[in-house]
This record gives sequence, C-alpha cells and structure tokens, in this order.
Amino acid sequence: MSTPTLLPRADPPSYRALDALTTGASGPEVWRALGAEGLLPRAYRDGDPRRGLEPGELGRLLAAVDGRFSLGTTLAVCVPLATCLPLLARAAGPASRTLSDALRGRTVVALAATDDTAGCDLTSLNTEAVFDDDVVELNGTKRWITNATRCEALLVLARHRPGPHFTNFTWVLVPADAPGVHAEPADTDLFDGSGTGHLSFDHVRLGREHVMGGVGRGMSGFAAHIASERLAGALWAVALCRRVLRDTLHHLRERPYADGTLWHVEGIRQRYAAALLLARQHQALTAGLADAVASGRDATSAAMLKASAAGTVERVLDECAHLQGAHGFRRGGPQELRAQAALFGIGGGTTEIVLSVMAGAATDLLEELDR
Amino acid sequence: MNATFENLLTPFLPYLNGNPLTEDSRLHDLGLNSMKAIDLLFTIEDELGVSLPDEDLNDATFATAGALWNAVQRAGTGQEDRKAAA
Repeated sequence: MSTPTLLPRADPPSYRALDALTTGASGPEVWRALGAEGLLPRAYRDGDPRRGLEPGELGRLLAAVDGRFSLGTTLAVCVPLATCLPLLARAAGPASRTLSDALRGRTVVALAATDDTAGCDLTSLNTEAVFDDDVVELNGTKRWITNATRCEALLVLARHRPGPHFTNFTWVLVPADAPGVHAEPADTDLFDGSGTGHLSFDHVRLGREHVMGGVGRGMSGFAAHIASERLAGALWAVALCRRVLRDTLHHLRERPYADGTLWHVEGIRQRYAAALLLARQHQALTAGLADAVASGRDATSAAMLKASAAGTVERVLDECAHLQGAHGFRRGGPQELRAQAALFGIGGGTTEIVLSVMAGAATDLLEELDR
Repeated sequence: MNATFENLLTPFLPYLNGNPLTEDSRLHDLGLNSMKAIDLLFTIEDELGVSLPDEDLNDATFATAGALWNAVQRAGTGQEDRKAAA
C-alpha cells in the first residue's frame, strides 16, 4: 500500500521548533513560533497567499500543531492561515502591511464574520459600515470569533446597505486596539488557547483605506476563501482522526483483559477497524479533491470535504472515546476532544448548509460518479 | 447582449428551460440565487476580463440580464479607457 501523500508518518524536522513551546501554548504563541521559523508561507503555493493553499504543506503544518497542542490552539492557527491571510492578499494599503506582518508571525488576525444573528444566514448580519467621505464607521457585534481576545487585527464583515443582496457587504480591516473596539472572552471551558470571544464595535472610525477588496465585495470575498477554510478543515480532520486512532490503538494494546489485552477482543478490533476505515475514506476524498479546491473556487468539492470532515470526526471520535472507556474522560482525552470537535459540523458553515450546496450540484456529482 | 455574454449567463439560470434570454429577463426568477450570483460575478471577471466597479455592485445590476450586460459593457469600456490613458 502506498504511503499517504497528504500527511507523512512523521513530522518533517522543521516543525520540531514547536517543541520548544509547552503543550498549553496558545494560538498566538504557536503562530509567532511558526512565523519566526518562516513556516507560515509554506502553507501557500510559492509561499504566496494570493496563489492559494499548498495542501500538502498545510496538512503537515496542521498535523504538527494538532499533534502538540490543544484543539483550540490549532483552531487559532487554522482560521487565519486558511482564510484571513488569503483575504488580506486581495487588498492593498494597510492590508498589505498586515499580511506581511502576519506571515512573519508578528500579527495575529481574526476573522469576524458571524454576527449576533444566525451564523447560518450571514446575509442577515447587522454590523454596519457607514461611509462618510474618506471615513468608514463601524457599529455592531460579532460572536464566537476565534482569536478575538488575542489578535492584533480583525477582518470584519459588515453591511453598507440594508437588505440581503450579496453586494451589500464589505470587509473592513480593523486594528484590534482601535478606539471603540471591545473584546470579551466567550463563556466556555472549551477551545482553550483559541482566544474565542465576542467583539463589539462602537463608533469605530477608520480611514477608507481600511476597506478591503472594494465596497460590495464582502460576500464574494468570503465565498472565494471559504473553500480554502473547508479544505484546511478537511486536512486537519485527517490529522485529528489519525492522532486519536493511534492513541486509541495504543490504549487497546496496553489495557489488560482476560489473558491478553483489549486488542485481542474481536468485537473491539472490528469496531476500531470501522473507525479506521472512515478516517481512510475521508483521507482519500481529501487527497482526491484537495488540488481542485486549492487551485480554484470549487465550492462543491469544498462542501463535500466539509461534510466529510464533520461526519468523520464525529464518528471516529465517538468510537474512540467509547473504546477508551473511563480512560477517555481524562483531561485532553477523546471525550473532551469530541465535544470541541463538534465544531467541524458548525464552524465555517453547518453540515446542513454544505449538504445543500452538494444537493444543488447533484447532477454534476452524479456525472462524476460515471467517470 | 452578445452571444458570448448570453452563453456565459445561461448556465446560471436553471429555470430558463431553453426559453430565449432577453434584456428584460429577471435573473432571480430564473434561478440566480446569491451563491450563483457570486459565481457569476467570478465568471464574468475571469472569462470576460472585466471587473465591475464598486458603484455597479448592487441588486439593480443583477436584477435583469440587460442591466448586467450594461454594467459589463461599462466596465469593459472603462478599463479600455484606463488602458488608453496609461
């Protein structure tokens, strides 16, 4: 059997620089370490976020982070890498400087899209951008934003006109220390290291050069890069499942049972194998679609990856948590992980939303099955 | 509207059902939802090589085939003028 191309069996030596950090390191600490070692640009083709993601390198980077730190910390690295930096790369002015600093690990950027309205309907968001000559003023709130409490810059999706039309939205680059910006931690014990929190914008006034990608290009910019985020999530899901499956296999082989160990119980072996199969299926799908998503705007493939990642992570972690018995409830164990990993089916578009995207392309997807 | 534009637009209109596309054809009624409209914007910019200006990014531009065609023409003319001036 060939060696998987997306994720090698061992980390390349370059990621060993992360070993200098403690396992409790936060997202920004890891981001800065990756930047200082020049590892962040490697996630992009030719090291340039404008050219799209480099799936193999991104997969290795996420696996390196996932294997060392908390799920929240990996989340705090994944979101800016997959979405924020490519969005910044579409714009000039302050965005260029922020991008340059971010690639060096000196700036952590948060993506502030979800409003106090339903996250599954972004076009209902209330955060307003009002233009007054060369000034844009922001008012509103954002909820459950990764890196909210620990970032230096925010990409804020706001509406400049009422109504749901996709041209009514605009991205604004907001310094986290701008007057009127307030961040507070989200009330949760989950996602440690992610800086997840809520943001409010109270008469935040910035120069018009802080508008990113043009007025009216908020949703199109979001759509252009949500596919990247979904690919990153799929790559991370491969790494997460692999890690938990390895941990579970180790537990089963070590845990005494009757004259042997749990690994000698046929029923347990079969349940483990079924979870392993799910992970391999997701890995194969990811390997098959990664380049298509990374090189273009293949929204349907990205939706498939997102749906696959969410379902695979849920089922693999559920099975591994059960197979580990009481041991699964330890700090950082699979029971804790699976509660946080539910995020794979919610963040960046719920499973229902991405299944709707697939349904809309059902005819094309069926034709692909004929090939 | 020219044939190139009509050929580009038609795949985004699932309810056109082979009927002729006119300048008055209402795009939303023909199945152009938000996601398809964003894809259409990308396709226009990629395949026709024009970038719609900010002032034309509004619901009126995407209301009818004729309105979108007019915006594409304006964008093309504007870009040619800018090239000539440079």
